[in-house]
Amino acid sequence: MTDALTSALPTRAGVRRSAPAAVSTIALAAMVVLCASLQPDVLTVPGFSLVLSVAVPLIFAAQAQMILMSIGDIDLGIGSFVGLVTVIAATELVSSPLLGTLILFALIAGYAVLGALIHLRRVPALIATLGASFVWLGLGLFVLPTPGGTTPEWLASFGAWQPTSFPAPLLPILAVALLVYLMSARSTLGVRIRALGSNPTALERAGLSPLSSRVAAYTAAGALGVLSGLLLSSQTGGGDVSSASSYTLITVAAVILGGGSFRGGSAVPWGVAIGGMALGLVSVTLSLLDVATNLQSAVQGGIVLAVLAGRALIGRVLR
Amino acid sequence: MDVDKLPAGPHAVPPGEGRSPSTAVPVIVATNVSKTYGRTHALAGTNLTVHAGEVLGLVGHNGAGKSTLMRVLAGLEGCDEGAVTVLGREVPAGTRPREQDFRGVRMAYQETSLCPDLTVAENIWLSSRRGLPRLRWRRAAAEAVRLRLDEIFPGHGISPRDRVEDLSIAQRQMAEIARASLASPLNLLILDEPTESLGPDAAQSLYAYVRTVTARGGSVLLISHRIREVLSVADRVAVMRDGSVVEDLPAHGLGEDDVLLLMGAETAVRGATGANPPAAPRNAPRADTPVVAELRGATGAGLNGVGLRIGKGEVVGLAGLAGQGQQQVLERLWRPVRRDTVVHGTRAYVPGDRQRSGVLPLWTVAENLTISAMRTIARHGIRRPVHETAVAGDWVRRLSIRGGADAAMADLSGGNQQKVIVARAFASAADMVLLDDPFRGVDIHTKTDLYGLIRAEAAQGRSVVWYSSENAEMAHCDRVYVFRAGKVVAELVGPEISEERIIAVSFAEGDQPPPAAALASVPTEPTSTRSVAAPAAAGNSAGEHRHD
Repeated sequence: MTDALTSALPTRAGVRRSAPAAVSTIALAAMVVLCASLQPDVLTVPGFSLVLSVAVPLIFAAQAQMILMSIGDIDLGIGSFVGLVTVIAATELVSSPLLGTLILFALIAGYAVLGALIHLRRVPALIATLGASFVWLGLGLFVLPTPGGTTPEWLASFGAWQPTSFPAPLLPILAVALLVYLMSARSTLGVRIRALGSNPTALERAGLSPLSSRVAAYTAAGALGVLSGLLLSSQTGGGDVSSASSYTLITVAAVILGGGSFRGGSAVPWGVAIGGMALGLVSVTLSLLDVATNLQSAVQGGIVLAVLAGRALIGRVLR
Repeated sequence: MDVDKLPAGPHAVPPGEGRSPSTAVPVIVATNVSKTYGRTHALAGTNLTVHAGEVLGLVGHNGAGKSTLMRVLAGLEGCDEGAVTVLGREVPAGTRPREQDFRGVRMAYQETSLCPDLTVAENIWLSSRRGLPRLRWRRAAAEAVRLRLDEIFPGHGISPRDRVEDLSIAQRQMAEIARASLASPLNLLILDEPTESLGPDAAQSLYAYVRTVTARGGSVLLISHRIREVLSVADRVAVMRDGSVVEDLPAHGLGEDDVLLLMGAETAVRGATGANPPAAPRNAPRADTPVVAELRGATGAGLNGVGLRIGKGEVVGLAGLAGQGQQQVLERLWRPVRRDTVVHGTRAYVPGDRQRSGVLPLWTVAENLTISAMRTIARHGIRRPVHETAVAGDWVRRLSIRGGADAAMADLSGGNQQKVIVARAFASAADMVLLDDPFRGVDIHTKTDLYGLIRAEAAQGRSVVWYSSENAEMAHCDRVYVFRAGKVVAELVGPEISEERIIAVSFAEGDQPPPAAALASVPTEPTSTRSVAAPAAAGNSAGEHRHD
């Protein structure tokens, strides 16, 4: 009987691993309740859509960040990269859709090259992606020096899509989490990527190339970054290379809130979705609480630190 | 201890009967293989042949070249000279070994090569993906590893869905062995210290499985410090010393003491005749020397009831096979946070891995040298450059460090860098200097200088605690504690210290679980009486200190 009981319950280690995401879920629920008490319209479908929509491009970028963190790297260029994509979406993608599409694919290829460079030249990812962020920023300013442009119609109409039965932003959030889950947790490619972050020696001894694992991870991250940029421009209706500059660090926070680590090895797509939503909701909650806009970043940072501290505490208790 | 009369494994075929290894193509042949890392000759013209269907035991002391030879045989590294022939196909020297040539050679690593964040099944896919389908690979991998684990280790308690990081150390070792064995064809299975973290039952079932592998036509290369186990399971035993295989004998009729003799006895003679400088005359340890540090029944983190004393002005050696608790003792002495460790006075630490933890590469020699002593040289927190220069200059002269005090650290040779790191510790005012195997890969002239320095400093009242993986170095100590499995198995004093004796004591299996096949016939020795292979070795063991 005890056997049946222990097999039905999650293992201690399993509980420990899902604890951060659980903490984020509780924080998310608490914030929803708080928002609803301040502004009951939050619980309606349009209200909830409005609240969640901020988080959609952020979560896509955070999934990209999560993939790179699962191989032990970190991407300090994702914010500028997403900004550059919004610029391309608002200019080239409108004037000549074919060229625009090619440019977007070239940007993904740029990420793949970046990954290869990091691996072959043994540049720390921190430095290489920071350097790349200036390249993305420079390219964006070159194409569109001041914010402006218009997004293609199909993109704008997707951004304006408002079904009445369910909050529209949930669809892309769940879809990307499922996609990344299938890629990173269920496929052999995902095994190779996580093995690189977990024990590169083992990967090499098994006769697999760490280079191809790293390039695959960067390619996936680049593709998710492009999707994030398209979604962001669908919401803003234009292009601005610095519109997503805060993403660089917020995506890292979302991964950490979702249970990822800087150490590499683990992929937490569902946790990232929850962490991203929680972070998106923080700013909404603060606005509803009439916290001055200037203070919002500080309070946001404080909340992230508090969650991290709580997570460390839970980790120690469950050890 | 006599293994001759022990029955071999359950599936054993007596060597010489029913087997004709010479007629078939050997699984792997190493011909005159040499491999050099920097100054260290890891392999010097090694020859080794593994025939189909046999178990070859490979034994040797620290640094004999076993791990390098295995890496070459497993195709992880090419050799500098000579050739490796796998199933008749030759892999010449100087080329990077191709993976497809070594596909039938599988190795279970002592430190495991599993990814801790992945599940057992995912790890199996990584290493055995060739035999798995492209679709539903997860289920196939889980099924394969479950069957193999059930075959080798009944009652293992591992689920293929478990993450490796959640397994116990013994379970990880089991998963590693199962991982290595999952290949078809399995021509050669290399087991590197497979039983080090396994319990006696698991070890027994592993050796039964080894016999199954050979019965199916595969070969097994077994590397182990547990000589008795090797003798009971192997058909042949190859003894390595100083980078080459010096003996290759049938295991039948071989005793544990014979193997120990082959492994080390002659080296001690060679060491005394000039390859290593003779030990400096040492003052006999006196009972009334004040104690600087003491461990009383220290337990936990790799230690199991260790008791030892360090006297003032004493050079105390920590010997034995690598990783038996010596470094944990240094760690305790460096940070005496537990109550079982008492340390008086200040300490300085010399790390063994100078690249990782010892050198400030962009600083000059003088800066590297005085960084520990800086605080004592300074007055009221203000540095005194003139004094620092004087101290640095003094040490550069004493140890004749090439390049002088102003040279950049990175420009120095490895040996000279090591001199600086050792000098840094002695230049400080520390009462006790802890040496963590600092002379690995250092040339003989540097070593001679540093041995002299250690003796001179000890004569002035410094205490030195010295862990070394090179047993010959222990001759420079006043007292040597020999470690085995986190315990002190022997304390050697003065003239008792010799390489032969250290080897004999460090391989003693008195309190180890008896090996697989031997289990049935050897009565289990009571753990309180410590039996060691050499006489006079049972000196001051941990037990004496345990009660206080």
